[in-house]
Amino acid sequence: MYYRTTASRSIEKILGSRGGRIIVNPVEPLNLPQEVTRYLEFHFTPIVVPSESEQRIFLTFPVEIGVFLQDKRGFTVIDIFSFAPQKYSLYGTPDDGVITRHVDSDVFDSVPYLVDPLATGVMELTIFNASRTQVEVTRAVFENASLNVYYGDFVAMKGRMEVYSKAIAETTTLLTPFREGMRAAVPLFASRQIALAEGLKYLMEHGVGG
Amino acid sequence: MDEMEWLDTVVYGEVTYYHLLIFVIDVIVAVVVAKAISVYLKKYLSDRIEKAELDIIIRILQVVVILIGFYIGLPRFEFNLADLILVGGTLTIVIGLATQKMGSNFVSGLFLLIERPIKPGDTVQVESVTGVVQKIHILSTIIKTFEGIYVRIPNETVFTSEIVNYVANVARRFEYVVGISYQDDAGRAIRVIQDLLEAHPFVLKHPSPSVFLDELGDSSVVLKVLIWCPSRVWWSVRTELLQEIKTAIEDAGTVIPFPQRVITLQEAPPGR
Repeated sequence: MYYRTTASRSIEKILGSRGGRIIVNPVEPLNLPQEVTRYLEFHFTPIVVPSESEQRIFLTFPVEIGVFLQDKRGFTVIDIFSFAPQKYSLYGTPDDGVITRHVDSDVFDSVPYLVDPLATGVMELTIFNASRTQVEVTRAVFENASLNVYYGDFVAMKGRMEVYSKAIAETTTLLTPFREGMRAAVPLFASRQIALAEGLKYLMEHGVGG
Repeated sequence: MDEMEWLDTVVYGEVTYYHLLIFVIDVIVAVVVAKAISVYLKKYLSDRIEKAELDIIIRILQVVVILIGFYIGLPRFEFNLADLILVGGTLTIVIGLATQKMGSNFVSGLFLLIERPIKPGDTVQVESVTGVVQKIHILSTIIKTFEGIYVRIPNETVFTSEIVNYVANVARRFEYVVGISYQDDAGRAIRVIQDLLEAHPFVLKHPSPSVFLDELGDSSVVLKVLIWCPSRVWWSVRTELLQEIKTAIEDAGTVIPFPQRVITLQEAPPGR
């Protein structure tokens, strides 16, 4: 039997499997209160990146926690919950854009102090401006298949964004731990039995600013 | 062994019952394999591919497998494939002329699959029918109305009609009109509604919602609330938010007035 009670909601499930083990770890923050998108969008104070140069910043994002049952057949998601509020947005236009999980973040130059590490995680984002002009970046959009979440004392991701122009950029998160000793979280994709390709990237075609 | 001799009996030309039997088994095996592929793909891909796309993939694979079954079985009849194509082509023309309407529906079905103005799961309006697309068959499209009624529309009608697809775009806008009394602070009511919208996960951050004073009505000050939300959840958001807005502005002490009219009674002139 599985129980979970939070201030707003209680759930109860009977687990059919007798064997297996329960795994609790952070997952891609794209599932609550209902899965409507595959994209995570960071909004932050404009960062001016000169041509052919790199800028490293730290952002925060809301943490979602997944409860999995692992048995011989693989992983099954039992529950997902979060201590952070959710907000969604639109990247692009209604006819051509995508719905995104919206994250408003301050910009830090080092790992920020986290009041509640169960509610907030850290993204280390390296922005490389590959264009010939200086660009102002205020947003970064990642696709769920490219989100690699790690956890230890806190939840973290390492992201990279290559800006080709004000309108086009490519994003991905790295398959390397944020810090030594951090563990890779079981991604929700694993529970859906989809093989992840290393270095999967998302092409931002609706701009990096504004 | 004598009991099996009938298999060597010639049916037509050099075709025997044995050839016919093998052909039938061939086709049955192809149909079974096609069905098995369909079940297998549904089992293992339904989580990963959208149902509409999966249906198309399955249908194409099934047709290919059955055609392969036919193709393998045909040489037993010692048919010349070129003759068969010629006969098949002629038959197609004859049948096509005889079933022109059916052909038109078939072609429309193909165009619907290619152009994809609608797909299974979409909420649409085709002519006077509004509901959720269940299936797009080769000849017809099945829509389940919100009352749960099954409606079959020929593909030609779907293709040539004006189609309203309520979920083709990822986001859509809806609006509320909220009336408050003239005694209440409209600015405060607007702030209360804005705070409520900010806290709701599916009221999109961008394009941002808009709340403004729209009209000085007969009985109330009219506020308009414009909200963008993901198309997939717009109906549930629309139905739950109005209740929340009503509760929030009433909790803030704002009155939603009934229609009212002020009547001034004039005193009758003396002597009447």
